[in-house]
Amino acid sequence: MWKYSKELMDHFMNPRNAGRMEDPDGHSEVGSPQCGDAMTLDIRVDDDDVISDVRFQTFGCAGAIASASALTEMAKGRSLAEARKIRNSEVAAFLGGMPPEKYHCSVMGHDAMAGAIDDFERRRGEVESALRRVLADPPSEIAALLAGRTVEPVHVHPGRMTLRILPDDGGALASLLASAVGAALGRTVEVRVQPEEGRTR
Amino acid sequence: MIYLDNNATTRLAPEVLEEMLPFLREEYGNPSSFHTFGSRVMEHVETARERVAALLGASPREITFNSGGTEGDNTALESGTTWDPARPGLVTTAVEHPAVLETARQLERLGRPLAVIGVDRSGRLDLDDLVRRTDPRTGLVSVMAANNETGVLMPVAEAAEVAHAAGALFHTDAVQAVGKVPIDVAASGIDMLSLSGHKLHGPKGVGALYVRKGSPFLPLILGGHQEKGVRAGTYNVAGIVGLGRAAELAMRSLRDGTGREAALLARLEDGILASCPEAEIAGAGSPRLPNTSTVLFTSVESEAILTLLDMRGIVVSSGSACSTGSKDPSYVLSAMGIDAMKANTAIRFSLSRYTTEAEIDAVLEALPPLIARLRAISPYAR
Repeated sequence: MWKYSKELMDHFMNPRNAGRMEDPDGHSEVGSPQCGDAMTLDIRVDDDDVISDVRFQTFGCAGAIASASALTEMAKGRSLAEARKIRNSEVAAFLGGMPPEKYHCSVMGHDAMAGAIDDFERRRGEVESALRRVLADPPSEIAALLAGRTVEPVHVHPGRMTLRILPDDGGALASLLASAVGAALGRTVEVRVQPEEGRTR
Repeated sequence: MIYLDNNATTRLAPEVLEEMLPFLREEYGNPSSFHTFGSRVMEHVETARERVAALLGASPREITFNSGGTEGDNTALESGTTWDPARPGLVTTAVEHPAVLETARQLERLGRPLAVIGVDRSGRLDLDDLVRRTDPRTGLVSVMAANNETGVLMPVAEAAEVAHAAGALFHTDAVQAVGKVPIDVAASGIDMLSLSGHKLHGPKGVGALYVRKGSPFLPLILGGHQEKGVRAGTYNVAGIVGLGRAAELAMRSLRDGTGREAALLARLEDGILASCPEAEIAGAGSPRLPNTSTVLFTSVESEAILTLLDMRGIVVSSGSACSTGSKDPSYVLSAMGIDAMKANTAIRFSLSRYTTEAEIDAVLEALPPLIARLRAISPYAR
């Protein structure tokens, strides 16, 4: 039997944030075909690019399960950039140390986090380019409303975007853009309009 | 503690310990000595030899004591590929114990042709391939009597016939089979057989090699004239005496029948299959030892299961070892065509004549919630 710390055994026995998430903002599946160890990771990301929720599933030993659980705890509340930088040694330290032979078990968690963030960025990129395409070659209805206005993305997320529309048109353009971008991607994309007072933000 | 890892090692039978103690205390004489104090010990060595011979249906002079199964396998393979310079070839199976497989690979590196015969999904030996690959250059065919991981029984008598038809000798690693199923070396055409004391409630560090009378044999361990020069080294008297008693006890329990153990194993398997989704028994379609069951839990990793069972004092083992950075699935399960993921969900339960129904029921009570808990966080679970 491995010499596991109390913290590690606690995370193995009571894994935090285990399971799957409904409509995650980023999702990854990683695994090692050699030993069959596998992991899924789902992330929920807020409009400040901060991870607000995480879920994981792991097929692996106690070390693999505990390090995945620890990783989710560490990632919550961190920005995407910070979460990507979480090192295996930090996960091991968070768990009160790990037997050196088990160190490789935590590598999967790092790959899963990078994968989920990449998936988030890829889906965000899809929304950005769909918006760009609609604005570059707008259907007549949108073209009519666009005349004399500027549309500037403030924040884009795989499921929603915040736009600054000047002068304000009371939301008509936003709702047309939402359906056009949604239709281009085949999924619902919510569009929010940043209010005037938010301009200085 | 509930000990269900009897294929790894067994508890020493109390009767065995009692029989050994005098030789660890006052009767410390060397049986090879001239003086009475030493030579009277030889009587006890010979009694042990008779008991081991009786268990195998052999004659006492065909039994040589050694340090255990690994030595027996090494000796048999070396001798079996050396006795006739025109027959340096070795034919064995993909599911042998490392004591055979590693020795076979070493002999291959030394230039002796090696053929490794595969098994099917049920762990059954491909006898047609064995026939095809046993040729006039083959000196030895070595097929284990029962597999240590799955308990699948191998067709020893048939394999011996194949060997003899080609003019080769036949060896069986019977470490897991001796004492668990009846063995008759004379009737099965076995030329050499390895066994180990600690797998049948005897002591560790002692075993025996059966060599059929008149069969060509070259000793591996040279030195003094012990064991008629066939295996040098001062007699491990306490170990040998213990092995003898263990053999006698095993014979008695075989005579009484292994029905009780088989019934407990069936109870365990039925209980697991009924309570753990996706679970299956490795080698289920084959005749198996009455004490061994490897369960493929599927979707939950074996070391995680081992860890949870260990916390509850339930002692079992898995086929793989995740120890050095990369985890290799059991080569036995891989040889059966079981993929790496599934192979890494294997747990081996191995019972003994000391296992009780209450212990099996306690395992059946503890196990399903543990499996359910691991399934709940597994990406594979359906």
